[in-house]
Amino acid sequence: MFKNYLKIAWRNLLRNKSFSLLNIIGLSIGLAVTAIITIWINFEMGYDRFHVNIDRVYEVNNIYPIGDEILTWNSTPKVMAEVIKKDYPEVEAVSRYYFNTSFLFAKDEKRIKSTGTIVDSDFLKIFTFPLLQGNLNTVFEDVNSVVITETFAKKLFGSKSPIGQLVTIDNSDSFKVTGILKDLPKNSSFNFEFLLPWAYLHQKGWSDDNWGNNSVATYVMLKKGTDFKSFSKKIKTLRERYDKGSPKMKTMLYPYSRTWLYGEFKNGVETGGRIDIIRMFGIIAAIILIIACINFMNLSTARSEKRAKEVGIRKVIGAEKGALIAQFLGESILISFLAALLAFIFILVTLPSFSILIDKPIALDLTNSSFWLAALGIIILTGILAGSYPALYLSAFKPSAVLKGTFKKMNSSITPRKVLVVLQFAAAIIFITASIIVMQQLNKVQDRQAGYNKNNLIYTEIEGDMEKNYNLIKNELLRSGAASSVTKTNAPMTESMSNTWDIKWEGKDPNDKTLVNRFIVDDAIIKTTGMQLIAGRDFDLKKYPTDSTAVILNESAVKLMNFNDPVGKIIKDFGIDWHVIGVAKDFVLKSPFQKIEPLVIQGAKGWFSFIHIKLNKEVSTSENLAVIEAIFKKYNPEYPFSYEFIDSAYASKFDDQKRIGRLVNLFTLLTIFISCLGLFGLASYMAENRIKEIGIRKVLGASVQSITTLLSIDFLKLVLIAIVIAVPISWYLTSSWLEEFAFRITISWWIFLAAGVLALVIAFFTVGYQAIKAAVVNPVKSLRSE
Amino acid sequence: MLLELKNIFKWVNSGGQRVFLLKDINLKVDEGDFISIMGPSGSGKSTLLNVMGMLDGFNEGEYNFLEQSVHTLKEKKRATLYKEYIGFVFQSYHLLDELTVQENLEMPLLYKKFKGSERKAMVADMLDRFNIVGKKDLFPAQLSGGQQQLVGVARALIANPKLILADEPTGNLNSNQSEEIMQLFQQLNKEGVTIIQVTHSEKNAQYGKRIIQLLDGRMV
Repeated sequence: MFKNYLKIAWRNLLRNKSFSLLNIIGLSIGLAVTAIITIWINFEMGYDRFHVNIDRVYEVNNIYPIGDEILTWNSTPKVMAEVIKKDYPEVEAVSRYYFNTSFLFAKDEKRIKSTGTIVDSDFLKIFTFPLLQGNLNTVFEDVNSVVITETFAKKLFGSKSPIGQLVTIDNSDSFKVTGILKDLPKNSSFNFEFLLPWAYLHQKGWSDDNWGNNSVATYVMLKKGTDFKSFSKKIKTLRERYDKGSPKMKTMLYPYSRTWLYGEFKNGVETGGRIDIIRMFGIIAAIILIIACINFMNLSTARSEKRAKEVGIRKVIGAEKGALIAQFLGESILISFLAALLAFIFILVTLPSFSILIDKPIALDLTNSSFWLAALGIIILTGILAGSYPALYLSAFKPSAVLKGTFKKMNSSITPRKVLVVLQFAAAIIFITASIIVMQQLNKVQDRQAGYNKNNLIYTEIEGDMEKNYNLIKNELLRSGAASSVTKTNAPMTESMSNTWDIKWEGKDPNDKTLVNRFIVDDAIIKTTGMQLIAGRDFDLKKYPTDSTAVILNESAVKLMNFNDPVGKIIKDFGIDWHVIGVAKDFVLKSPFQKIEPLVIQGAKGWFSFIHIKLNKEVSTSENLAVIEAIFKKYNPEYPFSYEFIDSAYASKFDDQKRIGRLVNLFTLLTIFISCLGLFGLASYMAENRIKEIGIRKVLGASVQSITTLLSIDFLKLVLIAIVIAVPISWYLTSSWLEEFAFRITISWWIFLAAGVLALVIAFFTVGYQAIKAAVVNPVKSLRSE
Repeated sequence: MLLELKNIFKWVNSGGQRVFLLKDINLKVDEGDFISIMGPSGSGKSTLLNVMGMLDGFNEGEYNFLEQSVHTLKEKKRATLYKEYIGFVFQSYHLLDELTVQENLEMPLLYKKFKGSERKAMVADMLDRFNIVGKKDLFPAQLSGGQQQLVGVARALIANPKLILADEPTGNLNSNQSEEIMQLFQQLNKEGVTIIQVTHSEKNAQYGKRIIQLLDGRMV
């Protein structure tokens, strides 16, 4: 029986090649999209889940009301870990995680810069990254020991056995390799190539026991069977006993497994995070699959008349309804299987580009049995989902009606199909408006003036001897003619690395806890970056040595501090009196999507991590860079010279939103394409269905044009209904997406009009072809066929 | 007795009026009968055939088939009844276009859940008996009308039904082919198969042992 079904299904497929092709292509696109998004979601959901004790691991967070907001953040004082270990017997292990730092590793002639961090000795017990070599209990015993990853070991030592080797770090300290870690999984939210013991921090004099300095992450692993709820209550008030500065700050344990996907807080409550995007694309995947399935139903039922006779015959010679349902479901599962084969090819071809598009190293793991299981499940589910309606519809035909030729062209049966078409087009219109709005928003933000001159501006991180030799480097850079201006800063021009609510000025409301960004520079920042001065002057240490305690405000800061004549005013920060020497026009320091925040640009009495260099625009960039590199090599010979262009750093601020834009465009195209396949199928059904009516009309003198209009108008009505449904949904979705951005477009009505017109045009061309084809048929032929 | 119709009425409602398709039909059919039903277009011939074949219901009356009252049977029971005892032959053959002759013949056996080996034997038997072994791998479109109807009859016979219902079996055939099919029916009837046929042709009707005339849903 099964063989017979398969045979019929196969021969049916071959007999209607174009129909089968439409069906299979449509479905395979749906399947491929779903599969790719599922692979992606799976990858994201798998983040950090590989740690054996993940269910007992927590990240220590602070909760603290500031102004009328409750802030939640995850950096803690360094001493907190020790206190937790001492005071709470429920805790099995604690480890701190110094922020990711880049160090220069030297082995013989090799110099490799690498990113890693400093951790407590229990780190690898809490986070079970497997050690390939070395003893878990002793790897961090010695101050000068280092644990490195497999790949990094290969880079450093080649094929030599790395264990026990000595390596120089940052030009000063010699370390012995005590452990080799298996490379971190790609979906680990920690990302490091080496780990150093916490004792090294003490040795370097970088540690402190200041409760006000929240600068490292702290992780705890609770003992098995500890009741998390009651423990949370206990640890909440930890700071009351130790922190003189802010005893009211609450300590909160946040499950580590949630940090990647959730981890966003508003007013002390978890509000989402990466999960939002994942949910969104999960829904999109489901919608596309459903649209593809709808198509399948449409195309299958559209051909029902051709199959009606078969149903009648089968029933007369003894088929029961169940057997027919099984047959049609079998057919749709066969199609779904073929579609899956094609989808598999699509996936193999497009996955690498998709991986680049979303910037995640996702890949297909063909050795994974759950992949095949899931694939089989999806094939069968899709087959049943797509085949259920045609199966039920076809199997219900009455043989006495179909076989005698009195089988009424069932116009009523078109209604559910019309609903399906409306749904498809509503989805397509929502996608079209979404992609227009995302594109507009991106354009608007990209067109926003940065407020300074990004061209010919590079920055490099201060490392090795650069601090010591800074004046020599600067002078030589200026003298060489490669640079026109040089400024040391605490952060790149595209980032804020420091902020505070603690700056005081005359007339400040003591309850005002507005955060103000700090940017610290030594000299000539206006000249280097080309910001616009509204009042006052640039830093000039030579002329005014007191500029080391001078400050330039941006416009927003002036507004916040309510200064009428800001130049000459004094503000207090770090217990230093800073005098205002100038006001700069607002410029984009952080996100170009958001409002510009108040900013103080403080003078040289600070700490520095970066050097900004304005290149001489008279000379070509490559020549400039060659000269600059030579100068840095001269004064900082141990380190390779690395730099970044400010304009490309600025451009990368758009990466996330551009990615979303591209994804939305992609899905818009796919949705339109699949919807058109469906409409095409339905239109061809309609044309066939009304062939006699068209014949009669033509005999009575109707023109081709009037018949084409007659046939098209019904479908255009459907698209109009779809527009009515889609517009409010689309308006709601896009405006809540725009909410995220302070700097945003207003949605204008013409976008919906444009999307609607576009949908109508697409629908018209899809239907029009069928309509004209039906309208030009010779009526003698169509009437005789009855 | 094979089947008995008692006071059968069948109607449809059209424009608020009852239109009778069958009116007070009383008919007894014995095993081994050969009945021809005649009458003008729209007189209810096919409807009567469909009612007897259990493809269609009726509104009033009684229908007994092999001592079972069909009108009180559940759908499922009714289906098993006609699957086992009735074979159909149609004017336009109604073979499955996607299947070969052999596969078309095998079809009813599949639905009746015969085993593979049995099916093979029965199909081979039937091909042999109708002299179409050479055509077994052809598709219906590759056969002449007469050959297609031959296959249609063979398919109706393959599960050894007691009753064959034929709805204008020769309506699409030329006279030679008609002759052949009618002689085949006669032969089958001699072998004990009960046959009821609907026909327009006076000549073909004469093959029957009994002729029933219908007019506006009534037997006359």
